[in-house]
Amino acid sequence: MMPKPAIVAAWALLAGALGCGGSIPPPNDAFAAAQADVGRAQAGGAPDIPDAKLHLQLAQESLQRAKRVMGTDNDRAASLCGVASSEAQLAFALAREAQAENMARSAQAKVQKEGDVR
Amino acid sequence: MKLTNPTILAGSLVLAAVGCAGQRTPPQSLVDARADYVHAMDGIAMQLDPTDVHEAKVALDRAEQVFQDTPDDPRVGDLAIVADRKALLAQAQASTIKAQQETQQAAAQIEANRTAQLQATRGQLSQTRQVLGATQMQLQEQEKAATAQQEKMRDLETRLKDARDTIAKIASVREDDRGMVISLPSEVLFKTAKYDLKPGAMAKLDQIAEALKAKEQPIVVYGYTDTVGTREFNMMLSQQRAQSVRDYLVGKGIPNDLVNAQGKGPDDPVSDNVSVEGRAQNRRVEIVVLPKK
Repeated sequence: MMPKPAIVAAWALLAGALGCGGSIPPPNDAFAAAQADVGRAQAGGAPDIPDAKLHLQLAQESLQRAKRVMGTDNDRAASLCGVASSEAQLAFALAREAQAENMARSAQAKVQKEGDVR
Repeated sequence: MKLTNPTILAGSLVLAAVGCAGQRTPPQSLVDARADYVHAMDGIAMQLDPTDVHEAKVALDRAEQVFQDTPDDPRVGDLAIVADRKALLAQAQASTIKAQQETQQAAAQIEANRTAQLQATRGQLSQTRQVLGATQMQLQEQEKAATAQQEKMRDLETRLKDARDTIAKIASVREDDRGMVISLPSEVLFKTAKYDLKPGAMAKLDQIAEALKAKEQPIVVYGYTDTVGTREFNMMLSQQRAQSVRDYLVGKGIPNDLVNAQGKGPDDPVSDNVSVEGRAQNRRVEIVVLPKK
């Protein structure tokens, strides 16, 4: 017969393994990667482009939610980190798209203007 | 997204009712992801950025799989959002590539325009240079012609001066209102009362003819006598002597129509008719070179 404290500890271990922590360890790498993606979108000009800004905010919200469930539901935390990364990457891509389209427009306007001068 | 939760909730209710995942209504986020993936497949993304479209497909398949296996799993919504964002990202990347291509085309167009302009300007410049070169050549030719003309003038002046010097050695030369007057004593040219030229006279007249040829000026040959003898005889003799000299000059190349002869007899004496010297001076032939017409 096990002493009572030992039984309590065994239950606690079991609960830790099955319930609180989930089946996987905390997704620290995925979280760091999502943070990096958010930083890249911010540096890439996403805050200046409305569409990009929206997805940047969604990415940040997803990061917050992932942080909240980290340790208690690591599966969901990893999943939310993936959401945050894809939102941040989309924000970055949208910012780049807007910048590229601006450049194309001004280049085309330049062609038009030189054509008029002639 | 916010819509997802009620949908999942609804899905859960359906699942609870039916008890079969395959017939469950998919969450809105999954519906959106499918639509955006189809859109990416149909649009320029498939041509310009197939890799990202493929990633969207992989993500969508995963969301569908989890939805099939565990429809209640909250990760279904997450995975659907991931798939949807990947489809949108593929489209954004494709638009970026397209815009970059347009920028490059515009830059190439600008470059082509500038090159064309530069070539046109170069063409104009080369034309201008050609014109300039031709003008400079013309100018040089004109300068050359002017120099040649000046040399010709100097040469002519020299020849005229030489002619005058030559004549001055064998006859007295003076200027009066008629023009240049070459005066030859009759004794040098003729025997007394004769009008055919002495052989020694011809050598002198040869030099004079040579000198006068260069001038191309009208010439009158006057014959003069002293007052000894009758006027009629003197007039006739002076006319014949002038004619002899004239004919000789024409024979030596002075144009026929440029030379006339006239006998003046004892008229216009240059000295007295009393002394021997005076009479000798009056007996003469004058070759008068008139100014050029």
